[in-house]
Amino acid sequence: MKFAFLCRQRPSSSKLRIAIVGAGPAGLTAVGFLVCRGHEIDVYEKLPIPGGMMTFAIPRYRIPLDSVMEGVEELRDKFGVKLNLSTKVMCGERHDEGDELAVNSVDLLKLVEGYDTVLISTGTWRSRKLGIPGDDSKNVVSALEFLLDIHVEELGLRPSHLGSFKKVVVIGGGLSAIDAAEESILKGAGEVYLVYRRTIKEAPAGEYEIRRLSRLGVNWIELAAPKSIIVENGVARGVVFQRMKLGEPDESGRPRPVPIPGSEFEIDADVVVAAIGEVPTPPISSECGGIGKYVGKDGKIAVDRNFRIPGTNIFAAGDVVTGPSKIGQAVSQGLRAAKELDRFLSIKTLVAR
Amino acid sequence: MPDPGVLMRVIDYSKCMGCGTCEAVCGFIHELGPFIRLYELGGGVARPISCFHCSRAPCVEACPTGAMRRDSSGAVYVELSRCIGCMACLYACPFGIPDYGEAVKASVKCDLCRSLRGDGLVPACVAMCPSRAILVGMPKAVGDEVKRRALARIVQLGEFK
Repeated sequence: MKFAFLCRQRPSSSKLRIAIVGAGPAGLTAVGFLVCRGHEIDVYEKLPIPGGMMTFAIPRYRIPLDSVMEGVEELRDKFGVKLNLSTKVMCGERHDEGDELAVNSVDLLKLVEGYDTVLISTGTWRSRKLGIPGDDSKNVVSALEFLLDIHVEELGLRPSHLGSFKKVVVIGGGLSAIDAAEESILKGAGEVYLVYRRTIKEAPAGEYEIRRLSRLGVNWIELAAPKSIIVENGVARGVVFQRMKLGEPDESGRPRPVPIPGSEFEIDADVVVAAIGEVPTPPISSECGGIGKYVGKDGKIAVDRNFRIPGTNIFAAGDVVTGPSKIGQAVSQGLRAAKELDRFLSIKTLVAR
Repeated sequence: MPDPGVLMRVIDYSKCMGCGTCEAVCGFIHELGPFIRLYELGGGVARPISCFHCSRAPCVEACPTGAMRRDSSGAVYVELSRCIGCMACLYACPFGIPDYGEAVKASVKCDLCRSLRGDGLVPACVAMCPSRAILVGMPKAVGDEVKRRALARIVQLGEFK
């Protein structure tokens, strides 16, 4: 990915300094635009390698690592972008998935003071929990934790925490569920179940992807929801599911799954993967002074139409603003936010003159 | 096949995952675009399509005013000042590529990022595709890469170091 696709070389410096928080598709695309406008960019990324979900969650057969790396290396070597890796930026306290790989921490408010502008593009690094008995067992993980663990080992950063597994139960019907199930097969799991509470027609991943996985040997079970985790000595040994039927449409417009009493059944597992959605992880907690109020209950940063937190020099873009999306939308957000940020800086410098 | 010496772009659908990055970057840099767009094919699958820049382009032949033309690199583009918006090009195109641009009352389409290429850069969709699914170059080079990829799918070497 040639993030700096709009220019061949760095124009003369604007002497304006921008901090980008989060080096995923939105952040890196914004960097690519902003270096072509001559700005000085420092990137802060909590993980030891840039790329965000493209490097640490999305399977390699979808995105080759060197596709992302060649673009990042060009930003660093040709455009003078400084990468501060393994560095978590935060205002207030909160632990997100992948934070254990960060070794440095930086206060967001320090960046806000030290740079002309800050762009937040920290994505969705927290997963919804099943909220059923036993879901705190150590081999019950989110899709993000599961995919991160596989990638971290493959990248040679540390050994897998999950070890080897033979039976995997993945709960969910989105693309994270698909990726977790497919990676399980590739890792040599003999039995993989993909269990969804509605039917294949409602599954967000779409019928095509689910049928493709079925052909790879994944057992697709629809109309079943987890009720509890079967735990022995703190380790999950399986999942109790309950059959569902489709009811009246809920607030999402899809038919609501309604439990069928007495229909419980069990599936054995050495790993249970909860793939039921990720939520935005802004570097701002509710304790963070005046800007805390711009983070919604859903974790999304509320920006104005120019991607700015009103009255500040802070911009935000990507999944941390929209919630989980595809790379295309994150890229679009990154570009549009970068353009607005650049415009904001030009106005600021004109006024200062 | 285009003449040797003219650009050819190929979308490798065996690599494309339908993420929409091509459409996003195209729409960002072209006010009248995007000129590469994803369409739903059912079952949750969406894939992009754009101009093939045919070497014997029916749109160029059908255009009554000479607005649909080819640049020196072989990219088919619309000279807006000559276009009357009749959309004969759309009727002629076997892939339905030309769009009617409301704002300019003319046919609009992909020009393989003429202005970026003028600066020695590659078309934005090619530059930014995360899966390297969009190839552009001389026909021989693009054809060789497509064949290399097909071969890699047939002869799976697996992991070796």
